[in-house]
Amino acid sequence: MVETWRLIDLEYREDPFRNMSVEEAIPRAVGEGAAPNTVRFWHNSNTIVLGCFQSADLEVNFDACKASGTEIVRRFTGGGAVYHDAGNLNYAISLKRGHPLVPGNDLQLVFQRLSEGTIAGLKSLGVNAEFQPINDIQVDGKKVSGAAGSIRWGTTFHHGCILVASDLAILGKVLNVPRVKLADRHVASVQKRVTTIRDELQKEITTRDVRNAIVQGIENVYNVRLEQGQLSKSEAANVKELYDTKYSTSKWNLEQ
Amino acid sequence: MISSSILSADYKAPGGKMLRVRLTEKNGRIENVKISGDFFLIPEDSLPKLEKMLEDTRLDEKELKLLVDRFFHGTNAQGLGISPDDFVKAILSTKSQ
Repeated sequence: MVETWRLIDLEYREDPFRNMSVEEAIPRAVGEGAAPNTVRFWHNSNTIVLGCFQSADLEVNFDACKASGTEIVRRFTGGGAVYHDAGNLNYAISLKRGHPLVPGNDLQLVFQRLSEGTIAGLKSLGVNAEFQPINDIQVDGKKVSGAAGSIRWGTTFHHGCILVASDLAILGKVLNVPRVKLADRHVASVQKRVTTIRDELQKEITTRDVRNAIVQGIENVYNVRLEQGQLSKSEAANVKELYDTKYSTSKWNLEQ
Repeated sequence: MISSSILSADYKAPGGKMLRVRLTEKNGRIENVKISGDFFLIPEDSLPKLEKMLEDTRLDEKELKLLVDRFFHGTNAQGLGISPDDFVKAILSTKSQ
């Protein structure tokens, strides 16, 4: 029998703090057995998303953020800072812990396995995408997507962002990239080692096109059916609580 | 004469992630330390435990290694993009940066 996963397109483009509250409420509910395995797609407009171990003071160019109206929010997973705008598509996969696709406790395997649906979707659009350890999807040596994830709350969780048609010029301004990181990769700037789906295909493409291709990719690669759904009442209540106590606070977002 | 100083280092694990260490040192020992970066570590809430354990430890390779290994064994923490040795090297490199 084909497994059915829930598909959620809930987003608050102008409220990255509420978006991140939804991002946490779903895997919590999945782990408790209160929600089915879930795939979510969403966007932020003009936001830096920090990894949970990063220092806002070290990573963020606050003056540039102020000038461009860029918001700053911290996620609950590790990894590096990313820039989101309407040309960036986010996806998140929450599977009950122990799911046969990712049965163990190996985060590297989670990134690889749960990137495969996305990669299949991108390939169907004509993009030569491949997984690049530790947590990237690359096209001809340039990063087009980064993932992060965790195994907690009884859930195996993977989320990633895909540069479909983002403004890479802003990306280079709002984040401070440490010199040792650039030196290690032998490139001079962030812009030179990232690309977008639009630039790779050399045609206009919407995040909706990419989202639809990834839905197909996920269904095919994992042999599942995605069924459109929404948050339960208890998930929605948890979103509100996470928003009030965590994601709307500068203590969580900036003071770490 | 007892003096304390603030030391910092950005350390990139070979083929891996960044560790950014900011610490206060007093008489060759860590007074307090803050580790940040773009690495993965699960469970995520174990990092403050490591920072706490490092307090009052000598800035010495052998002693740091012993403590970091004890942290990883004791908490079953799993790093990705960084190894226990990278934590040791990152902390030690504050002495030369």
